[in-house]
Amino acid sequence: MIKETLLNVSTEISANDRIRIRINGEWGEYEVGRDLKSETTLSTFLRERLGYTGLKISCDEGACGACTVIMDGKAILSCMLLAVEADGHDVLTIEGLPHDDPVIEAFAEQSEPGHGTALQCGYCTPGFVLSTHALLNENPNPTLDEIKEALSGNLCRCGCYSGIVMAVRHASEKIAAKGG
Amino acid sequence: MSASYKPRVQRQFIGGYRPRIDAIQKAQGRAPYADDIISDRAYPGLLHARVLRSPYPRARIVHLDASKAAALPGVKAVLTYQDPEVARLKPTNAGWTDAVDTVSYEGMMWRKFRDRRVLGDYAAWAGDELGVAIAAESEQIAEQALKLVEVEWEQLPFVMDPLSAMQPEAPVIHPQIAEHNVLPPDPIGGPDIFLNKGDVEQGFASADVVLEMDTSHHNPTQGALDPWCCVAQWQDDRLTIVSNSYAADQTRMHVSQMLDLPIHKVRVISKYVGGQFGRGDTGDQPFFLFTALLAKQAGRPVKFKHTRHDSFHDTRQPALYHCKVGARTDGTITALHFKSIGDIGAHADHSVFALKFAPAEIAEAALAPVPNIKMESYAVYTNHIPGCMMRGVGNSQFNFIFGRMIDGLAERLDMDPIALSSKNFGHAWGSTPDQSLMAVLEAGAQRIGWQEKRHKPGAGLLVDGTRRRGVGFSLHPGWHTEWQEERRGQVQAKITLYPDGTVTLDAPTVETGTGSNTCNVLGCAEALGFLGVRPEDITWVATVDTDAGMRDCVQTDSAVSFLQSEVLAVAAQELKQKLLALAAPVLGADVDQLTITQGQIHAPGRSIGVKELLFQGDLVPLSVMVSRKPATQRTGVPYIASFAEVEVDTATGRTQVLKLVIVNDCGTVMYASGAEAQQIGGQVMAIGEALTEEIVYDPVHGVPLNFNLIDYKMPTIADMPEIEPVLLEVWRGAGEYGACGIGEGTLTCTPRAIANAVYNAIGARVDDIPITPEKVLQALGRI
Repeated sequence: MIKETLLNVSTEISANDRIRIRINGEWGEYEVGRDLKSETTLSTFLRERLGYTGLKISCDEGACGACTVIMDGKAILSCMLLAVEADGHDVLTIEGLPHDDPVIEAFAEQSEPGHGTALQCGYCTPGFVLSTHALLNENPNPTLDEIKEALSGNLCRCGCYSGIVMAVRHASEKIAAKGG
Repeated sequence: MSASYKPRVQRQFIGGYRPRIDAIQKAQGRAPYADDIISDRAYPGLLHARVLRSPYPRARIVHLDASKAAALPGVKAVLTYQDPEVARLKPTNAGWTDAVDTVSYEGMMWRKFRDRRVLGDYAAWAGDELGVAIAAESEQIAEQALKLVEVEWEQLPFVMDPLSAMQPEAPVIHPQIAEHNVLPPDPIGGPDIFLNKGDVEQGFASADVVLEMDTSHHNPTQGALDPWCCVAQWQDDRLTIVSNSYAADQTRMHVSQMLDLPIHKVRVISKYVGGQFGRGDTGDQPFFLFTALLAKQAGRPVKFKHTRHDSFHDTRQPALYHCKVGARTDGTITALHFKSIGDIGAHADHSVFALKFAPAEIAEAALAPVPNIKMESYAVYTNHIPGCMMRGVGNSQFNFIFGRMIDGLAERLDMDPIALSSKNFGHAWGSTPDQSLMAVLEAGAQRIGWQEKRHKPGAGLLVDGTRRRGVGFSLHPGWHTEWQEERRGQVQAKITLYPDGTVTLDAPTVETGTGSNTCNVLGCAEALGFLGVRPEDITWVATVDTDAGMRDCVQTDSAVSFLQSEVLAVAAQELKQKLLALAAPVLGADVDQLTITQGQIHAPGRSIGVKELLFQGDLVPLSVMVSRKPATQRTGVPYIASFAEVEVDTATGRTQVLKLVIVNDCGTVMYASGAEAQQIGGQVMAIGEALTEEIVYDPVHGVPLNFNLIDYKMPTIADMPEIEPVLLEVWRGAGEYGACGIGEGTLTCTPRAIANAVYNAIGARVDDIPITPEKVLQALGRI
């Protein structure tokens, strides 16, 4: 699964230009120069300017997955995208998911014996939850290999990968039980 | 698929499989980490700090001019080594203690090795923080200002390996501490030969077989995803630091003593931490100090955060080990001699703990039945990144030679290494065979399929023409029992009961992911079983704030999982007595006539509910705080083991781990899901350490090359094999639960288990980790 979304930025961005981003369902309008700089990454803009601190800036160079958000249905690394490149796009952060989201619940609930929990320190968890969402959107019933492939861009240093696989499977079941 | 463990004593809450108490908050992205809290929104006027890091492995600043930096718009504070408030700071060490206890400057463990200056003028590795720190309106401005600092460097000769550093002509890195780069003996670590039991020469003379071997352990890093960060803020003469330090009380002591501030004038707050794994030792890090001084100078709050590159800040100590073992043909070991040369890097910090303290403890805990043992170690400065604590400090390095010795000796004697182990190892307070050791090895052997899969080295079936399979194991004594925590002093916990039967639990410890917070809530509910309190009735106080006046029990030695629950068991009994004293006059009975079950207080012929009793009163919450030292009975230690099955491609040299079985005797499993998460999770570091993770240097310039998460290869979900966690309750410690910590030790045995499995697969040894394809092909004589 391709995690990067290639975008065409059709026009040059300059100061006082306005951009529009739909974040967690609501369109916001931001002014370059005032709200963000043209070089501000989407991760920094979301976290530091707008307060969506569920995403983490851990490596800031596209290597760890902690800053994963969903854009137009696909998981992307928000540290690898300029905020201005999100102009006109639909962005979902962990804060945009309902509290009873089946993927969130599955990650939180995992305690099936033999697999530990699906999280420990929790720092990488929002990224895993969103990568899982993107995976299950495209592939509601993934195999073990497909789960591993889809989540291999997210690092969990606590090493809860076994629990994470179980959480993805349980999330898939929960979504199916809700009728997709 | 793993079978659930069988508890020795069935309890209501302790030991269960269940979600963590913080799981939903973390999965929703709502758990507050320091970097989330310290924002421009929360701290109006917040400044951002950067510090100069040496571009050279060894250099001195001859001249530094920061005037252009200071003049850059947006720069609000500049601090250099020439400023009096910096120059007067005492020389220090970043590992005052192993964080088990809180220590003062004078009482620090490694007081002979104070080789660090805060913002000094001397760099001992390419990455050392020194010279100048700058606070500005943004990180970018601070970074830009750093580039405007004019530094005249005197580049000095450097040395990158410990054997060269020990030579007489080698550059001397800290001449005031180590004349020839070898740390001198000190009161904690002892002399170079720090253990000499019996007579090893006589032991070797009486042996039928004598073997010698060498291993090499490299410098993996902790790799927590949450980079170090802190904010320092002054209100008049009072300093508050919010950080992701895992040792709040020790951080306060460090800051108080280094900046000469009264203890009550320093407040340290820590919340959730995104992984710790021993990084930065106790957190006695110079950056707390220069951040505080910048904040004072600017009169504004200052944030300091490591970049990912900066997060490569300390590592496990690389160690070269030599072992000589003598044994009789029946497998009885007559003598052991271990010698290590540790590459401690640029700063001593906590290295001697790894090289002397930990092996000495292992000798007492596991090698007691061996009559003649000699251990010696040489801790050597080099211009590498500093070594410090890392999950399994010292034990991982020792296990890599220990397990090699067992495997090699067993082969030479044509014995099963499991039989050899049970014959020779136990602990100072038990008899052989040790029951815990036997149980751990039996469980591991059965789950990996030892009898069916173990074969002569290199004699396994060939898969697809080039790949060979093998199995191996390694064992280790645990080191997180209650008596081993004696140095911790008082462990504190407080239970507050409200009239409606709900509870606030103050069991201060910084939540770094270990799950001890869940253990504490389960322990509290278990202890308050007489009230019918459930875990969901308990609020665990997540913020550690030194202003609360309690010392936090630091997440070191993996011991918090049970230490605070032991205190809570005592606290609950005190709470019960308070309730009975309240009830006695109401029920018209003597206290000793009363009993409480399920929240109901019974007197002969009468009873009252606890809630009803409390609502009749003044509604003041009922609090009990208990401070209690860990029990000191010498109960010995339990054992741990890893079993590995690997497949090695003899054409490409690639090693693939097919399966790991991780066995821990826990005494008592406090929280099964959390324990399994530690067992499984530890294997990410273990496999990385064994196969892929390594800091690579440019040997010509002495500069590290891979301080990023692409080139420093941590295992991903796609790299992980099947892992079977096995929890046992065979050994028993002191106290209500008789438990021990397991988190650190889950990865201690795995690199050696994998290395032994590789040997079993291909019949050629790779005793220098990480086991890269290149080393495998070299061992096979292919390149």
